[in-house]
Amino acid sequence: MIEHGPLLETLLAGASICIVTDEEAYRRLSDEVVREELNHFLRPLNRRVASSNDGSVYFLAYQELNTTAREHLSKEFKQTIQSLLPLLEWMQMVQESLGRDGALSAGDTIKFQEFALRTEDNQSLRQRFNLLASDRFFKSNSDNLDSQLKQVFKRLKETGYLHQPHKDRQFYIVTGKIEQLVEMVRFIKDEESLPLDDMPQQESMF
Amino acid sequence: MVRRKSSDKDQSPQSRLHALGVARLNLIGKHSSQLMDAYIKGHFDETSVNDSALDKLVKGRILHRPDETQPLSLRPDLNGLIASLTEDERKRQINADVAGQLEQIRTRVKHFTDAQYRGDYAGSEHHFQLLTEKVHDMTGQFSDAIVSLWNRLNSDFGFVSNLSDKIRENELAQKQLRRLLDGFELIDFNELIELAQSSGPLRKLLVSQLQVVISDHSSSLLEVQKRLVELMARFRQQQERAQLISNMAAFLKQHPNFQVGDYPNRSKVPENINIAAPIIASASVALDKVGDQQELGDIVRSLELTTSTPVEPLVSGGEFDLEEVLAIEAKHQQLKEDVENFFISLFDGEQSVSALAYLEETALDWDGETWLFQVIAEYEGLARDIRQRFTFEKMKHPKSAFNQLEIIEDVHLSVI
Repeated sequence: MIEHGPLLETLLAGASICIVTDEEAYRRLSDEVVREELNHFLRPLNRRVASSNDGSVYFLAYQELNTTAREHLSKEFKQTIQSLLPLLEWMQMVQESLGRDGALSAGDTIKFQEFALRTEDNQSLRQRFNLLASDRFFKSNSDNLDSQLKQVFKRLKETGYLHQPHKDRQFYIVTGKIEQLVEMVRFIKDEESLPLDDMPQQESMF
Repeated sequence: MVRRKSSDKDQSPQSRLHALGVARLNLIGKHSSQLMDAYIKGHFDETSVNDSALDKLVKGRILHRPDETQPLSLRPDLNGLIASLTEDERKRQINADVAGQLEQIRTRVKHFTDAQYRGDYAGSEHHFQLLTEKVHDMTGQFSDAIVSLWNRLNSDFGFVSNLSDKIRENELAQKQLRRLLDGFELIDFNELIELAQSSGPLRKLLVSQLQVVISDHSSSLLEVQKRLVELMARFRQQQERAQLISNMAAFLKQHPNFQVGDYPNRSKVPENINIAAPIIASASVALDKVGDQQELGDIVRSLELTTSTPVEPLVSGGEFDLEEVLAIEAKHQQLKEDVENFFISLFDGEQSVSALAYLEETALDWDGETWLFQVIAEYEGLARDIRQRFTFEKMKHPKSAFNQLEIIEDVHLSVI
């Protein structure tokens, strides 16, 4: 059990572990025996190891949903819903500005400089980014594009959607949390029976 | 030169063909740059060459005008040739007309066997050569087509920029592939065996060699097909994902007050929102385990600790108590006066007087140590000439043999 100490600590601290953030830990968590061992330890803390539907991310969930747990979940869920639109907007902007085929997914790399240049050069992207950065999720109160960009990437790193492998290099990898987000979007769509499939298709306007 | 050319013409149809081919190829070479421009732009810039050259290019079956209103453009054959030479997957054609090729092969086999039957060895040799070329042409086209499919697959259809184009290109490639596979089925080896009859070279060409090539190609094509289908699934998945994201974003923008269900308080909470609050595992220094003490000691020793100037947290805004300060000041003044009185008293006698004895005698309310400090300070503070009028002796003893520390127990003073 002692060899899982650091892993347990990371999980308890609220990290979500995927192949991008910590390959070694992710590999260990993929083993059901290890998960059982951890769960045994976590039971008195009312925690258990959970994973996203596609198994790309591991995190801790409540073992038993008591009042405190539900209170916390309500708070968190509210925040997730609030962050939904800014995050989706950001994903679309990255896809458009970098000319990607599909939507962002875990393992995709984003070069800060490249994104910054494309955004700077394109008037409409720039305006949209300006609006996005001032959203309460990204919390930028600057008018300067450069500091807006920095703030947005900083927030994405803080919230765990981006992983920066080298501290001094402005190069980011999208983590499995993005998959969790998309899963959440799909879930809400199904759960609320949102008529998203019948929406008029807007092929990229830019 | 001209005469030789004309004599060549007279010689045989083959040499005439040779000369014409060379001339046409030269024509292509001469205008290669303009022709490549036309390949890329889709039409030929008629101002880029002079009229006679333009005329030659049209007569040379290199350029044509698809219809009256259209500009001059490359003939499809040349387009195909350039696409094949440059491996340009956007325009590369896949020729899967196996039935037509087989028809030609059958005809050539008949020519060949007839010539052999007639005993026309030169003729039969000529026909066999043409037949060999035809078979190689056909297999060559197959391998070209397969290479082209692999290229497109391996580049993830990178020659078109967006996802829906890629999906269409993938569909096209799958159709071409199916046509090729259908074509392979048309090749009936029983028929070919019958055609070859007992002729060794024919059997080799039509049966054994062809069989190996076709079976290689078939397995390669099946692999391509599998991969194309997989790639298509990935494309579709990407498309679905991108659409989901943009549709949800659009929906949320249109419905700013959109309320989702209260999932956290449902009796059955959905798995994906059950994310527990963080717990920080902290620990402090504990000395209750004897075994740890050595290690903790090592840690403490390795730290650079400065205990001399403890940093007091800065407290500001406290009330300033003037009275207390004044009281201390008054006390200090009193001490100074008492010590001065001690010095004055020395003039009354001649013996040396112990400072502590005086303190006891006068019953002054000072701590012995404080008293001695003040006496010494007073003495040291006297002007040099006045100081010389006193004898001053510190009663001291060393504290330890290992250092120079000495303890002052008393001071004895007297007036000279």
